[in-house]
Amino acid sequence: MTDIDFLFYLSVLLFCCGLLIVFTKKNALLILMGIELMLNAANLNLVVFNRQQAGLDGQLFALFVILVAVCEAVVGIAIILRVYHYYKSAVPDRVSELKEENR
Amino acid sequence: MNQPVSMIPDLLQIIPEVLLAGSVCLTLLLGLFVKKNRSVLLAVVAATVFIVAGIYILTSWPHKPEEIFAGTLRVDDFSAFFRVLFLAGGLLTLFISLQKENATEYVILIQAIVLGACLLSMSMHFATVLVSLELVSLCSYILAGFAFNKPSSEGSMKYFLMGTVATACLVYGISLIYGISGTLNFSSSQFVDALMQSKSVMIAVAALLILAALLFKLAAVPFHLWAPDVYQSAPTPVVAFLSVVPKLAGLALLIKIVLAFNLFGRATVDWRMLVAGISIVSILAGNLSALAQTNPKRMLAYSSIAQAGFLLAGVATLDPTGIQAALFYAVVFLLMNLLAFTALHLFEKWKSLPAMADFAGLGRVAFIPAFALTMALVALTGLPPTAGFTAKLFLFSSLWASWSDSGSTIMLILFIAGLLNTVIALYFYLKIPYYLFLKETPPGTASIKISITGNFLLLILVIAVTWLFLNPGLLMGWINRITFVL
Repeated sequence: MTDIDFLFYLSVLLFCCGLLIVFTKKNALLILMGIELMLNAANLNLVVFNRQQAGLDGQLFALFVILVAVCEAVVGIAIILRVYHYYKSAVPDRVSELKEENR
Repeated sequence: MNQPVSMIPDLLQIIPEVLLAGSVCLTLLLGLFVKKNRSVLLAVVAATVFIVAGIYILTSWPHKPEEIFAGTLRVDDFSAFFRVLFLAGGLLTLFISLQKENATEYVILIQAIVLGACLLSMSMHFATVLVSLELVSLCSYILAGFAFNKPSSEGSMKYFLMGTVATACLVYGISLIYGISGTLNFSSSQFVDALMQSKSVMIAVAALLILAALLFKLAAVPFHLWAPDVYQSAPTPVVAFLSVVPKLAGLALLIKIVLAFNLFGRATVDWRMLVAGISIVSILAGNLSALAQTNPKRMLAYSSIAQAGFLLAGVATLDPTGIQAALFYAVVFLLMNLLAFTALHLFEKWKSLPAMADFAGLGRVAFIPAFALTMALVALTGLPPTAGFTAKLFLFSSLWASWSDSGSTIMLILFIAGLLNTVIALYFYLKIPYYLFLKETPPGTASIKISITGNFLLLILVIAVTWLFLNPGLLMGWINRITFVL
């Protein structure tokens, strides 16, 4: 197994962990952490695959991903705070007035 | 590459976007310093910028396809068409209602979403795709919570959580594609060559991950779950905007990505089958769920999921005729959805109407909005005398042509499913007109005062929707001249 293969499998593992966290964890903040893990799996891929290529496309794109992740976290935490202010909970399962209203 | 390149010639190619970015900054400054009549002033400034940018794009039609900023963006007729649509969507949204609270932020967010959508329709490189898609998404999450109440915060959070997962999938898909092809520019020959030669299963996985993010923006099944909650809880003008601009931005990118990944029909994934399948499921799921709804905004949410299915049906043909039909459908969809939500908003300003039964007899006390709402719903069903009929006619005839050309059964199934669903749609779309005009007005209902601007906007939209029915040739003539060469 070469270095690149190993790092690729690592990124697949990271991505799957992130996805698993998103689907199993209850708290919105933990879901946000899972999403960060998925984004970082992609970053790892980009940087590793860049070693086979000329130029710095992959690494630069990874910088963009980091930037976007920061913005996402800021907006996300602001929204979750607002939800917490109204519901006194950040667990999406307990925050479900819209569906009940519909029944 | 090593010499410093002047950015001025490239910037001159995207003057509308430069204007929009400048006006975001200007809005921020005006919001800080102007205290009197702030919301009116900001709306007027933003509307002027939208109009100037739109006229600039229209006057420079037709565009010579040209790649700018080292091949990351491309100015051509296809993107110009969508940019005019987004600018029109933004402009009409500003006219629907004047945001009194947090006017500065509201106008900035609207402008930023339009800017992101414009850049997205020009993107030819995954870096610009990611940045402009996120500009649209992040601003949409905030706008979804703009009612500043309990349900709206919930809708906003659900939208955010599902949206970021979709983005994470997109980024991972892009990283896989980068590993396979070694390029992030999806219009380059290197990209096509590498994908043609590679037999890796990873291409299919990556393409599906990227597709997932786009379907989320389109609110197509199976990534539609956010739509009903957001539509129900967000303020109506915001819903009108979110149901049109981000959705069509997703469509613009989806057309480009699907054509790029299709590799002129030599891809390992059967894209026609895949997109047609999603389209059928979206139409069915949207319409069948809409049948059970009592809240009008939730019903329109499911209806817009079904409409996303119809937009995808045009793309599924993968030939110019089908995509042209989808573009025509996109214009009509913008008009009829904005019309429906504007009329709904004018009713809601008078009184909160959480159920369709609350509309009983209101057609007699407020004729103009009731008539406009009826026209919008008739158009969404796809009946004459509205442009909704024309759009569906173009779409179905392109599906029929695609079936008789290629003989693929899925096109025939899509054709039949679409026709059947128009019948199902009839039932739930005409529920509101039934309450409006055929039920008795509850005693003691005062007549509704609708502002002149509201009536004027409704009138313009109604005229546009009928005019496109009577005279679709002009618009279709423009669309026919758009080329889809990657």
